[in-house]
Amino acid sequence: MSWINRSTAPIFKPAFAALVLAAAVSSAARADAPVRAVFQHQTLTFTHVSNAGGALAIGIDDPAFRALLRVDGASLAWKSGERYVLLTTAAPAVVTFAIGDQRYDVGPIALQAPFAPYQQNGEVYLPFDSVVSSLDLAWRNDGNVAVLQPQLDAIDVRPVGDRVQIVAHAGALLRPRIVQSNRQQITFEFDGVGTTLIGTRNVEAGGVQSLQIAESGTARDPKTLVTATMVDGTGHDTPRSTGTRDITIAFGPGLSGPPNQTAQVEPAASAPEQDATATTTTATAPSSGQTMVTGVNVTPQAGGSFTVSVAVSGDATYQWHRLREPDNRFWIDIVGAQLQGAPITQNEPAPLGSLRVRQVTPDTVRIALSLTGPKSLLVSPTQTGVTIGVDSSDVADAPRAGDGNIGSTISSTEAAPQITPAPQDQTAANDDGSGWKFGPSHTGYAALNPRLIVLDPGHGGSDRGAMRGSLEEAVVNLDISRRLRDILVARGWQVRMTRDRDVDVYQPNDSAHDELQARDDVANKAGARMFVSIHSNSFINSGPYGTTVYYSKTMDVPLAIAIERQLASDGTKDDGIVKSHLYVTVHSVMPAVLVETAFLSNPSDYALLSSPAWRQKVAESIADGIDRYSQQYPAPSHAAMTPSQ
Amino acid sequence: MEPTVRRRSLPASPKRGPGRIIAIVVVVALIAAIAGYEISSLSHPAGGNLNVYFTKMDGQSMGTFSVSVRPPLAGESATEHRHNVALYAAVQAVAGPPGGTEAIRFPSATRVQSVTVDGSTATVDLSREVTRQAGGSFGEDGEFKALVYTMTSVPGLDAVKVTIDGATLPTLPGGHVELDQPLHRSDF
Repeated sequence: MSWINRSTAPIFKPAFAALVLAAAVSSAARADAPVRAVFQHQTLTFTHVSNAGGALAIGIDDPAFRALLRVDGASLAWKSGERYVLLTTAAPAVVTFAIGDQRYDVGPIALQAPFAPYQQNGEVYLPFDSVVSSLDLAWRNDGNVAVLQPQLDAIDVRPVGDRVQIVAHAGALLRPRIVQSNRQQITFEFDGVGTTLIGTRNVEAGGVQSLQIAESGTARDPKTLVTATMVDGTGHDTPRSTGTRDITIAFGPGLSGPPNQTAQVEPAASAPEQDATATTTTATAPSSGQTMVTGVNVTPQAGGSFTVSVAVSGDATYQWHRLREPDNRFWIDIVGAQLQGAPITQNEPAPLGSLRVRQVTPDTVRIALSLTGPKSLLVSPTQTGVTIGVDSSDVADAPRAGDGNIGSTISSTEAAPQITPAPQDQTAANDDGSGWKFGPSHTGYAALNPRLIVLDPGHGGSDRGAMRGSLEEAVVNLDISRRLRDILVARGWQVRMTRDRDVDVYQPNDSAHDELQARDDVANKAGARMFVSIHSNSFINSGPYGTTVYYSKTMDVPLAIAIERQLASDGTKDDGIVKSHLYVTVHSVMPAVLVETAFLSNPSDYALLSSPAWRQKVAESIADGIDRYSQQYPAPSHAAMTPSQ
Repeated sequence: MEPTVRRRSLPASPKRGPGRIIAIVVVVALIAAIAGYEISSLSHPAGGNLNVYFTKMDGQSMGTFSVSVRPPLAGESATEHRHNVALYAAVQAVAGPPGGTEAIRFPSATRVQSVTVDGSTATVDLSREVTRQAGGSFGEDGEFKALVYTMTSVPGLDAVKVTIDGATLPTLPGGHVELDQPLHRSDF
C-alpha cells in the first residue's frame, strides 16, 4: 500500500513551476537576466539562463548550476555530440534528458518537460523546473527572494506481516527528531525539508491508524512534521537509513521504540531483501549456489563392465530409463541441476557405444548412453553424485527404470546391487584421470607436486586490506593461514606460503599486477596441487556478514564446494560459493579459491575474526575441505596425465 | 532585448502548392522516411526497454529494473545511437536501483566519465571515487557484475572494459577483481 510516492508527487509540481516564473524569474522572464536563488543558505546566481517559451532554461555549464548539483550530491554527464544528458541524483536516480525530446525520465518514470532540451552555442539548455523537480527541490518565495527548498516528497506505507514500514524520501539528508511521543501518538520532525504532502491519511496497518503531515518553519528553514496516530501500545523502531535520502521507520507489535526523545538514525543495514519498487523483479542471472553436474567419469572394470560416475555438487533428484526397443539405450536425468561446461558427445569403447551429456531443460541434465547391445544396469546414488554400473552382459529381469535423490538425502528405488560399481573415490583407474570427460582432471592440469598446497594470506606489507579499529585484514589473514598451514602439515601435506610475514610478496608499494601475479607465480612455478587464498571481507556498511568462497575457473568448482561445505557450520552465515573474475584465481593454473572468511565490517563477524579460537576453527574447516576435495578428486599424476578430449 | 532560443530545426513541412508533383514528391519522401526509419530501427538498437541489473545484498542473486530507451532520431547513425544507449546503460548501472532498494552499490559519487564502444566491447571510464572501496571482494564483485550484466543487455555488446580516470588498472587499489581485461557475463 502506498498512497504517496514519487510518481504522484510531480502532480503537485506544476504549481511550483508557476512560482518559479512568478517570483524567481519575474525579472528574467523577458530577458536572459541572471536568476538568483537561495539554496541551503547559499545564494546562487544563475547566469546561463534563457526563456524558452515562458519556461526557464538553464545551461548545463552554468557555474551556479554546477555548484547546485555538487552541493546536492548530483552529477551530470554530457559530452559534445551526445544526445542524452544524464543527471544522477543523490537518491540515486538517473534523470534522462534527450536533446530534441520533450519527454524526460526520472528512473523508470516518464514525464513531460515544458520544452525539449536544446543546444545553443555548444551548450545544452535544460528545462530548469524539470531539473529542480528531479532533484526533489521546489521553488519557494521568501519575500522577494527565491528559495530552492528540499522537499520531503514521498512517503510510502509498506505493510510487512503484522508491522508496517513508513518510508520517507526527500531531496536532502533526513535527520528525524522525535518532538512528541505518548502511547497513542508520536511526532517526527524533519528539519530542513518542506513538503507538499500536507494532510492526514489513513494507514490502518501495523497498529498505525493514520499519518498526519504538516509543515512549519520558514521557506529558508523549513520543517516537516509527521505524526503517527497508533493503537495503544504499538511500538516502533529506530529510524533507519535505507539510502542516502530515505528513512524507514517500522511500527508494530514487539517494537519498543526509542527510550528517549531523540531518534538516532542507524545506517543502512542488511534487512531481509525486499523489492521495494514495482518495477523490480528477480532476474534469471545464474546463481553460483545451484546444483551443478561437474563431471562424468567412465571407469573400466574387470570382466568388461564399466562404471559411469556422475559428479553432482549439491542436492538433486534423478530418473533413469532403459529403452526396450532398441534395447541398447539408457539415459538418466539429473533434475534440479545445471551442466557445468560444454555438452559432450563422445564415442566410447565396448560395451559402451557413445556417451552424451547435455542440458535438456533449464533444470535437467541428461546423460545418455548408447550401448553396443543389451546390458544390465545398476544406478546407485551417492552424496556426491550417482554411479551407473554397466554390466558386460544382460541379466534377466534387470530393472529398466528408477529414480532417487542425490546429495544430503540419498534415496533410491533401486533393487539390491547385482553388480558392484567401483567406489568412485578409490578406483585406481581414476588416478590417471584419463576417464574424465570434464571436471577437475579434464582441465589438462596435473600437479608437478600433488602433495603441495600454496596458501596465500591476502594483502600484507604496504597493503593492509580492510581495517576495523585496530584489526587489520592483512594480520588476520596471515594468522588464519599460519594455523591452516600447521594443520595441513600435520596431516601430511606440503605447504608453501606466498608470505609468512607481514610483507608484500613482490615489493612494497608495488602494482596490483606485480603483487598478485607474484602470489600466483609461487603456486604456478612450483606446480602446486591447489592454491588457497585467505581473506577477510568488508563492505561500506555493517549489514553483510558470512563466509564466501570465490572461484573463477571451472576446475575450481569442486574445491570451492568442498571448502564451502566444511565452512558452513563455522558460526557465521554460509554465503555459498560465488564465481567472480578475481585476479589470483584467474591467473593460477591449478584449482584455486579465495576464501573470504567473514566480514570485518559486521559486528558479529568482527567478534569472530577477533577470536583466536574461531580462527583456529576456520583453519580446521578449510583443511577438512581440502582433505575432502583430495579424496573426491585424487590427483592425476603428471606423467600419466592424458587430456581426454 | 528579447531572449532568443535556437531550437532544433524540425523537418520542413510541405508547402501549399499547386503542383501534383510536389504532392507526389512529399508522399514519396514520407514513404521513404518511414521505410528508412524502419530499416534503421532493425539495423541497430531501437527504443524500448533496457534491463538495468543490480546485485542484491546476498552477493549472488541479481535484480533488475527497466528503463526506457528512446528510438533513434532521424539522422542519428547506428553508431551514435549505440554509443548513446551504452552511455545511458552505464550511468543507470552505476546509479543502481531506486533508493530504498537494497543493493550492492558503487561508492557514493562514482561517475561515468565516458563510454566508448568498439565492436562488441564497451569501455566504461569511471571516476576515481570507485576506488573508495571498503576492501572486500563482496562489493567489487557485486558492483562490476551489475555493470557487466547491464552493459551486455545492450544489443550488440558482450564485454565491458573498465578504466578509471582514463587509465587501465589491473585491479582497484588493494582490490581483487581483475580489470585490465574486458569482462563478460561468464566471468561472474
